[in-house]
Amino acid sequence: MAKYIFKRIIMAIVTLFIITFLLFMLVRIMPGNPFPSERMSAEAIEKKRAEMGLDKPILVQFGDYIANIVSTGSFGKGSSLYNGAPIATVLPKAMGNSFKIGGIAICFGVFIGLVLGIAAALNRGKFWDVFCTVLSIIGVCIPSYVFMIFLQYFFAYKLPVFPFYFNNRQFFVSSIMPALSLSLFSMSTVARFTRNEMVEVMDSDYVLLAESKGMYGTKLVTRHILRNALIPIVTVIAPLIVDLLTGALVVEKIYGINGIGKLMVDAITGEGIDYNYVLALGILYSTLYIGIMLLLDIVYCLLDPRIRVTEKKGKRRREAEKKEAPAAA
Amino acid sequence: MKKFKKMLVALLSVMMIASLFGAVSVSADQGGDIYVMFATNVMSLDTNLATDGDSFEIIADCIDGLTQMDADGAAVPALAESWDVSEDGCTYTFHLRDAKWSNGEPVTAADFEFAWKLAMTANLEYNYLFDTSVGAIKNADAILYEGADPATLGITALDEKTLQVELEVPVSFFPSLMYFPAFYPINQAFYESCGDGEYGTSPYTFLCNGAFLLDDYVPGAASMTVVKNPDYWDADRVSLNSITYQVVGSSDQALTGFKSNNLDIATVSGDQVAAVKDDAALSENLKVTGAGYMWYLTFSQTENSSSDGSLANANLRLAISNAIDRESLVDNYVMDGSIATYTAVPPQFAASATTGEDFSGDQTKFADYIGFNVDKAKEFYEAAKAELGKDSFTFTMIYGNNEGDEVTKVAQAIKEQVEGALPGITIDLQAMTKAERLEKMQNDDYCVALTRWGPDYADPMTYLGMWTTGNANNYGFWSNPEYDAIIKDCTAGAYVSDYDARWAALYQAEELVLKEAVIAPLYTKANANLITAGLEGVEFHPVALNRVYKNATFSK
Repeated sequence: MAKYIFKRIIMAIVTLFIITFLLFMLVRIMPGNPFPSERMSAEAIEKKRAEMGLDKPILVQFGDYIANIVSTGSFGKGSSLYNGAPIATVLPKAMGNSFKIGGIAICFGVFIGLVLGIAAALNRGKFWDVFCTVLSIIGVCIPSYVFMIFLQYFFAYKLPVFPFYFNNRQFFVSSIMPALSLSLFSMSTVARFTRNEMVEVMDSDYVLLAESKGMYGTKLVTRHILRNALIPIVTVIAPLIVDLLTGALVVEKIYGINGIGKLMVDAITGEGIDYNYVLALGILYSTLYIGIMLLLDIVYCLLDPRIRVTEKKGKRRREAEKKEAPAAA
Repeated sequence: MKKFKKMLVALLSVMMIASLFGAVSVSADQGGDIYVMFATNVMSLDTNLATDGDSFEIIADCIDGLTQMDADGAAVPALAESWDVSEDGCTYTFHLRDAKWSNGEPVTAADFEFAWKLAMTANLEYNYLFDTSVGAIKNADAILYEGADPATLGITALDEKTLQVELEVPVSFFPSLMYFPAFYPINQAFYESCGDGEYGTSPYTFLCNGAFLLDDYVPGAASMTVVKNPDYWDADRVSLNSITYQVVGSSDQALTGFKSNNLDIATVSGDQVAAVKDDAALSENLKVTGAGYMWYLTFSQTENSSSDGSLANANLRLAISNAIDRESLVDNYVMDGSIATYTAVPPQFAASATTGEDFSGDQTKFADYIGFNVDKAKEFYEAAKAELGKDSFTFTMIYGNNEGDEVTKVAQAIKEQVEGALPGITIDLQAMTKAERLEKMQNDDYCVALTRWGPDYADPMTYLGMWTTGNANNYGFWSNPEYDAIIKDCTAGAYVSDYDARWAALYQAEELVLKEAVIAPLYTKANANLITAGLEGVEFHPVALNRVYKNATFSK
């Protein structure tokens, strides 16, 4: 068990290193200039490139980059974005905003998704069921930023209940629309999953038994149906968090939220391409993704004994094959 | 089931309460607090590092220079109460008034000396404003290009309130250069107390001495606020309480934001102008202002991987320039009030100090070389074909697809107009980001490019200086000794002390540019602004500081 987790962690680190290397190379072959300038002389730009070490061979640059991260624990300074402001000054605030809105979105997604899913399952075949099914299909199909524009039009322009633009001083209120639109996909997925799982559980023998013993209503739903239906649902939430990260790229840009998604877009599509910001954000995104997946693997392993069993079975099978192999030869 | 109903009710009530807060606080129109749109991110508040108009605007809200712009763009005293100029025009002595930084320290002559010398120690976009091509501050060339000690720059704090600036040659527009943020002061002790690269990244790492104080800002922020500075030396004239800037990425969001009272000043696109004009209420709010920068075509005159070098032929360039219907471009494609331009220096930003006349007020002055005249274009074209011994040409035209909604349409219109008027010419359009376009132009890996230039200072030289041999912005690699000689005489030679003679010489230089169609000027960009009723006195400028709020009033 410990060995399995250890192996997964090592694999995650190796993956991250490979991604960093690929990112580093990709960023450098992207078109665009890290020091966009229409007024500086070629010599001055050359000097700036040298200051950032861009005149060295690319593998040396990569080595320096990794050495700098390991020794100082920081990603250094930007080249063009915010005129070279240190990444350590800009990134934490952006992460804070993204994570807060992402957190609200996850809460919305899970909570509303659960409510919809449960309502649909309890009213199987009736209006609510169809309503929730249609709603969740629409939710899965509509990209979050389209929903965002829709929300903005109706709830900030036609009926001004929410602020039209995002601003930090009304953080919560102005987070609601972007969080809702970000949560649309996870909401629909959770709703569909919950409905299906609950229906399956409701048809099972032990629920029939519970009912025949006189258990009914809320108690039956919460104690017996929901608890059993929830286990698979927990497992879909983790990948949904990852989906949120990618949705945030567009929603943050449209709604003007100063988060990591907008930062990423700005670093790539600004006046110049900021190598260091793109890299730092790329590494951050990859770390989040790999981290969540790793956590999920470990949690699976802890929760579901079958994974461990399969592992042992596999080992046994391999050993058996080994024994058989010489015999066959 | 009851529990779920309860939960639903709870959720809905939370959302309703939240929406109440929202409803209370979205109303923008409280007296003296205005909401202004920025189209792009503010990149930096460090006066040395900032390069974009939005950054300059917010910097100038918060920091005064030696001079500031009046409503017409002329330099009027700001931190310098007065100044003396030596007889040879090469020494300026500025007498500073009593003003305070936002940490209570007095603004001194040493703050200017520190800031300027600091700029000399780094490779910065606006360093060239110090060298002999523009500001001609003593020793700037030696420091910037020959590695001399930055401490030798010709700026000296004679005492706390007296600042002496020495120039290499007289610069007729020097006072108006002083309102450009690159020449603003920085308090040394405060600057050094901020971490490396931290200066100007938050209200706590930024000092103000201007009409407003920075209240809310982080790099990349979508909204930022400045509030009135009660200790400003001219505080009596400032009537706005606060300005909140909102970064709005699309013009649709800008228009809706204005209509829903979330913005008091918004810039709309050419597409929207017609709709705005049709709307009786909105059309009252429309105000077109000069944005300063001029769009033009540049032609690579060398043989490179994208061009066969045939554009080195002046007649071919003249043919293209005369085949373009600029009025149609601004009326049908740009549509925001931009002005068709037939001069190498755009109108409305550089006026003569002696006669007050706009350098390019007369747009017909070079009608012999530039205009929309298909017959003339064909004549030039026939001459070019004879000279080159070819009768078909294929050019690739590059343009930025992130430089405004209208640029793609303009590029397509130019293709149609030129191909229609001059049979045998094919123009292939190639879209890319602005950064890629610049990179291609700088590496001379292009054929024709649709590009733009905004004036950095109020003198025709900000445009004409670009076409000298070896200038970094001379993307066509055009070279004309006669032209170089005129420009040299205007910056460092015979004409520096004779204002009118210099002005006339610049006119000659401009004629040379158009006679050979070094560039094909297209149009001078305007901004179609929506300004809320009751907001008066916001000063719009095509050069240096786009909007100045010091004299603005807002009554609702």
